Amino acid sequence: MSKIEKALKRAGDERGNLQLVPAAAAGGRAAPWTALLGQQIEPPETTSRMAENEGKLLSADELWERGIIHPEHTDEPAVQVFRELRTKIVQQSQGENAVILVASVSKGNGGSFIARNLGAAFAFDSAKTALLVDCNLGNPSVHRLLPDPSLPGLADYFENPEMDVSKIIHPVGIERFRAIATGGLRETPAEYFVSMKMRRLIDSLRERYRERFVFLDGPPMSDIADARILSELSDYVLVVARHGRATNAQIESGLNTISNKKLLGIVFNDEPRIPWIP
Amino acid sequence: MQMYPEQIVHALINESFHSRRLFVGLFVIVNIAMLAAGLLWPKSYVASTSIIVDEKNIIEPLMKGAAVPTEMADRNRNAREVILGGRVMNQVLERGGWLANRPALEREALIEQIKARTTITPVGRDVIKIDYRDSDQDRTLLVTKAFAELFIQEMVAEKESETRSAFDFIDKQAQEYQRKLMSTEEELRQLRSSSLDARPGSDIELSARLIALNTRIENTTLELREAEMKRASLERQVNGEAEVTVLATREGQFRARIAELQAKLDTLRLSFYDTHPDVVQLKNQIQDLRAEASAQRERREKAKPSERMEPDETVVNNPVYQQLRRELLQNQLSIDALKARIADAQRLLQEEVNRGKSLHSGDARLVELTRDDQINREIYQDLLRRRERARVSVSMDSDRQGSNFKILEPARSSPSPNAPRFWQFVLGGFVLGVLIPLGLLFARLQFDPRVRLASAISERHKVPVAAIVPHLWSPGELLGLRKELTTLALIVTATLALSVTLSVGRLVGVL
Repeated sequence: MSKIEKALKRAGDERGNLQLVPAAAAGGRAAPWTALLGQQIEPPETTSRMAENEGKLLSADELWERGIIHPEHTDEPAVQVFRELRTKIVQQSQGENAVILVASVSKGNGGSFIARNLGAAFAFDSAKTALLVDCNLGNPSVHRLLPDPSLPGLADYFENPEMDVSKIIHPVGIERFRAIATGGLRETPAEYFVSMKMRRLIDSLRERYRERFVFLDGPPMSDIADARILSELSDYVLVVARHGRATNAQIESGLNTISNKKLLGIVFNDEPRIPWIP
Repeated sequence: MQMYPEQIVHALINESFHSRRLFVGLFVIVNIAMLAAGLLWPKSYVASTSIIVDEKNIIEPLMKGAAVPTEMADRNRNAREVILGGRVMNQVLERGGWLANRPALEREALIEQIKARTTITPVGRDVIKIDYRDSDQDRTLLVTKAFAELFIQEMVAEKESETRSAFDFIDKQAQEYQRKLMSTEEELRQLRSSSLDARPGSDIELSARLIALNTRIENTTLELREAEMKRASLERQVNGEAEVTVLATREGQFRARIAELQAKLDTLRLSFYDTHPDVVQLKNQIQDLRAEASAQRERREKAKPSERMEPDETVVNNPVYQQLRRELLQNQLSIDALKARIADAQRLLQEEVNRGKSLHSGDARLVELTRDDQINREIYQDLLRRRERARVSVSMDSDRQGSNFKILEPARSSPSPNAPRFWQFVLGGFVLGVLIPLGLLFARLQFDPRVRLASAISERHKVPVAAIVPHLWSPGELLGLRKELTTLALIVTATLALSVTLSVGRLVGVL
């Protein structure tokens, strides 16, 4: 069976979940699965523009190696879980784009993993784009997704008043998925989030493209001050608790930090699963 | 937290996989521990024997009705005391091959060990089962046999001595009663010879006589009183009666006629004159009568000087008086006779009363002695009968005829050691090797403060669980997992192989 035939079959399986998008505009390299989709719906302007700067896209296996889901991994239950979570968020935001804070109840609960994969799940949908902002200044991880980890990030943006937002948004090798890393960190980074510039940044990120969903990879909620500020800046909050790691007390205190209205729910991360068993 | 069974199973499977190293580690440790226990567990053989014990107290049937036997001590405890007693244990030590000339302290310790390995259980009413456990099969059988034999020996000896003591007791009692009986009879004989009156029934006779005498005295007294009353009445009558009666003379008769006529004359004079013929007639009559009277007087006067005692024809003896005097005399005689009779009867009565007093004091003693004699005689005869029966029992015991201890089931030893078999340890190791880690994981699920179940979060914090993200196995991780699982499988296989090898070795007899 040729690779194209395989792709066709998979595309047929996934048709229910995928929105139909046109082939990538000239100059862009369409992902193999999107290339096979229909051309009936006009893509938003941003997606086509984004397609021009995608850079080198990563293969499904490369993503898998980095712990990022890909629609090709049909037998991976996590893919379906993230899709369902995406649907819930879209329903909650009633079609509007939103800023979603993903924060662990404590260090090591896999908040970054959830934020990253949730972004990837949103990027599955050709009508939406995802932007991952690394707000976990104590333990940054987003820079590892970038082709060059030393690319300017949040800290550079705050340090240089003249710097344009577009300079810190970088492609990560996934279609319709961009990221802002922490950049070259200085001391007292916590002061960034309380500044007006941060609020303006978030607002501009949200307002600029209506199909863009912004994911803030937040610090652990044990860092109450940052978690609270970031939750105020976001529209929704997802609290991540990891199996065998998060204690009830941590969850309790994490839930107390944020407003109930913004809470989407708890993401129970890393539930044990025996591979090869569906 | 409330969990459904399928939830528990699912959670346990996931947790087991998650903590697979812990699981396998525990499995291996438990299996090796069980193998070691199986190898080191001491071999143990058990032999058992049953003995029928019919230990009725010998004194009970013998003394039935005459004496109440003391309650027999608890059968089981009694048997236990005999079997585990010093005498039996010392002999068991010798027979069991434990050196008899060990120091006393060591012997005591050995005896305690043997006691601990011996179980005595009552089966039903009369059967006692002795179980003995030991590491040596032959010795187990030997000691159990010794237990049964020595127990019966002891019990027979005990029973014999019991019968003997019962006989001695009854014999002593019989002698005692014989002595009592003899002394009572002697006293009785003496009492009878000392007072002849003292016969059975003499008191009844005495009382009859007393009643008769009393009646006689009463009757005589009544008669006396009657006679005395008669005498008083006669005396009154005699006093009222004149000794002689005086007859009316002619002169007197004249004078009475004159007075009568004079009265009539006086009455007539009231109505008539003296010249009335009637008055005159009356005067004449009176005149005549006076003349007559004086003539009569003169005649009597003339007679007086003649000294001739002319009986007075007017005086006669009174016959009533005579009669009364006669009766009075007779009455006096009968009174005297009655008085004499009363005195006599009273004397007799006093005699009888005196005799009765002496009779009563002797009679009470007699009754007492007679009663004692009777009772003693009965008991003595009874004891004699019992003594003969006891004598028969004693001879029966000495001939081992009445022995009621029998070995119901001869000592029998189990052909194979009674301890858990080696394969049981191996199987137990497998089962426990799985169950212990599962139990620990379940406990961790229940008590670990760290969250292991998504449902626990929503239940506890009342917050929706937006998503349950399963572990995302990256290719590198899967590769590592494969290697890890292979290693774990090898470890488990090695453990199982070790178990099987040891089992086979044990079965063949190498181990």
